[in-house]
Amino acid sequence: MLTFIARRLAAGVFLLFVISLLAYLLLSIPDLDVARQLLGSGAGQAEVAAKNHELGLDRPVLAQYLDWLAHALRGDFGTSWFSGEDVTQALRNRLPVTASLMVSVTLITTVVSFLLGVWAGVRRGAVDRFVQVLGVVGYALPGFLVTLVIVLVFAVQLRWFPAIGYTGLTESASGWLSTIALPVLSLSIGSIAGVSQQVRGSVIEVLRQDYVRTLRARGLSPARIVFRHVLRNASAPALAVLGMQFVGLLGGAVLVEQIFGLPGIGSMTVSYTTRGDIPVIMALVVFTVIGVVLINLIVDILIGWLNPKARTS
Amino acid sequence: MQRSAKTALVAAALTTAFALSGCADTSGGSGGSDDTLDIATLTKPQSLDPKVANGSALPFFQAVYDTLVKREPDGTYSPMLATEWAFDEAGTELTLTLRTGVKFQDGTAFDAEAVKANLERFKKGGGADATDLAAVTSIEVVDATHVKLVLAQPDPGLLFYLSDSAGLMASPAAFAKEEELKTKPVGTGPYRLDAAKTVVGTKWVYTRSPDYWGEKPPYGTVTMSVFDNETAIVNGLKTDQIDTALLQDVGQQVSMKSDPNVTTTDVNFDFQGILLFDRGGKVTPALGDARVRQALNHAVDRETMLSALRQGRGEVTAQVFGPETAAYDPALDTAYPHDPEKAKALLKEAGYEKGFKLRLPRVTAIVNDALAASLKSDLEKIGVELVWDAPDPAVLQKVFVNKEYSGMVMNMGLDTVDGIVLRTLVLPGTFNMFGTTDDTVKKLVGSVQAKPDAAEADLKALNEHLVEQGWYLPFYRMSYLLVSDKDVKATPQSGMAVPSIYNYSPA
Repeated sequence: MLTFIARRLAAGVFLLFVISLLAYLLLSIPDLDVARQLLGSGAGQAEVAAKNHELGLDRPVLAQYLDWLAHALRGDFGTSWFSGEDVTQALRNRLPVTASLMVSVTLITTVVSFLLGVWAGVRRGAVDRFVQVLGVVGYALPGFLVTLVIVLVFAVQLRWFPAIGYTGLTESASGWLSTIALPVLSLSIGSIAGVSQQVRGSVIEVLRQDYVRTLRARGLSPARIVFRHVLRNASAPALAVLGMQFVGLLGGAVLVEQIFGLPGIGSMTVSYTTRGDIPVIMALVVFTVIGVVLINLIVDILIGWLNPKARTS
Repeated sequence: MQRSAKTALVAAALTTAFALSGCADTSGGSGGSDDTLDIATLTKPQSLDPKVANGSALPFFQAVYDTLVKREPDGTYSPMLATEWAFDEAGTELTLTLRTGVKFQDGTAFDAEAVKANLERFKKGGGADATDLAAVTSIEVVDATHVKLVLAQPDPGLLFYLSDSAGLMASPAAFAKEEELKTKPVGTGPYRLDAAKTVVGTKWVYTRSPDYWGEKPPYGTVTMSVFDNETAIVNGLKTDQIDTALLQDVGQQVSMKSDPNVTTTDVNFDFQGILLFDRGGKVTPALGDARVRQALNHAVDRETMLSALRQGRGEVTAQVFGPETAAYDPALDTAYPHDPEKAKALLKEAGYEKGFKLRLPRVTAIVNDALAASLKSDLEKIGVELVWDAPDPAVLQKVFVNKEYSGMVMNMGLDTVDGIVLRTLVLPGTFNMFGTTDDTVKKLVGSVQAKPDAAEADLKALNEHLVEQGWYLPFYRMSYLLVSDKDVKATPQSGMAVPSIYNYSPA
């Protein structure tokens, strides 16, 4: 198991380097003319050239990247070219917001999907059809529409939750829950729809296996069979889907953060990328990749733990 | 069995937590509190260094920095850091008398040296403030409380600029550490930035300055939150999490206007239109002929655009001078009625019977699909082919530096001072980058500058001449909606789209 984790971590570090290099190259392709944006349209050519030199933008892209990398490896992500804020500090403020969303959505998706999936897979019949319809509808509804309706109903009409803003977990636990409740609900619907169908399919598949029939014949209680044996084997594919959903959630977070006015990294990514604020974007890329690598590692470990065969493959 | 029990427990805990949170803290933000003013906006400051202060981001700066001159909501000037000011006979020297006993938030004294340091820094900074202060050739310290601004030529906009971003005073002690000033502003203003509660880019939090020299600010805390869409702002207004905001999107305006829980005021600050830079015909030869420019003005159906694109929220116009200026003439608003036949006749007269191709840059934030299609179809009807170039991040460089385009659709603030309109839109400069002019313009501008106090007739004549010559193709002055909840009184500010920070008070 340890070699397995070490191997995956090494792959993750490699991925981090490759993606950061690719991101840097991609960022240098569009001519965003950061210096002119900073100085305004009235600035002369000489001032723009001087600013470009100051920002190091007049050097070859690879040299710029290596310079960035050298600093990043020491934990120094620099300061934003536009706002002058310390990038590490800015992320420290914003990462918890997006992380709150992602982790909560992932937890809720896991719990609800497994409950629904197992219920449908074991009961079949009307229950199954109900869960399936729920899944299709949840998956097909456009995320922004669901989110807007949720805001209108629960925040604007019923006033159960705030419509905008974010309260830190350390500031007030109840405030934190109430501010992320609706965003989490909006993001969960789509992912629950996807993962619950996967769980249902796997459960049905495993229930058909010979060993389940054998267990039944040996007189084990149905609950014990389902939770002890079926779920263990049915979990792996569902967890794999969950890992991928997590990556997709980042895209959804951009939208949800905008609608709820949450100060997370989703909304940050959009506004800073269009301006070409390289120090901020690169830090965002690094932390996003780390998040994705970690989640996938956790999923892989869980799968390996549930199913020893997966560790060697 | 173990795992299932745990799962159930987690599920139960989460459900309870969510149910509880539903009733726990519905007020969420601080919008409910009377001592806090929550402002929402779409415009964020680049940083809090006064060097980059501009337009709708000005309130972020006004909270911490005072200006030399205060501009009242109606556009008149009143004392702030300068208590008195006087121009000399020729209008080329402005002497300011400074308030005594004022200290910056870092303890540095505010005096003539500080004024000199700030203005010189603006001039060297190369930004919009440098352009605003272009006429100022030197800043002389007379004594600790008097400073003299020497001008190359009279500048009718100077007091406006000193009541705007070029008048913001920061502690000279902070100039040594420029990077810090971006996030740690040091001024003499009514509020201080609460850096611990501020999330740069999203929410700035200011608290009342305990030792402000002036009248005690009405709110203990002011927050300014930046959103990238007005849906969130409107939701915040409806749920009392936001006290006030200026809405630009027409759909959102209409939805708030019918809300009984808020007070709304129309603000006509920006006009939208095509600035036809290329009156000399350097890029598009046809535009060198006034008749062609008149034809374009007659081709555009302003009334239909206003009702279709902005649900009628605004006033059609054919002039670039706003109602607050002396040059403004209401009759000129309708100088170019929609008349494709007349437009075609004018084109024929000018020798462009078969039309021509007009290439314009497209900035999607300003030219949405509907506007792009509407203009294209209006011009097509008179035989002019309008080609929209794809959005390009380097568009400003191409338009203003490389001079690749003969015009551009822009949203321009309606300046309140005639002299500023002259400088920005008429005289050679940023928005007249080809530097075109004619004898009438030269003569009228000359006589306006010679006797700025008695120039109304000349200004009106100039405005009429510019409209007649089709220098621009304005569509309409757009209405924005200033919304505030019942606890807050918000007053629109002359010369700005959003209210100044001083224009809010408990209702």
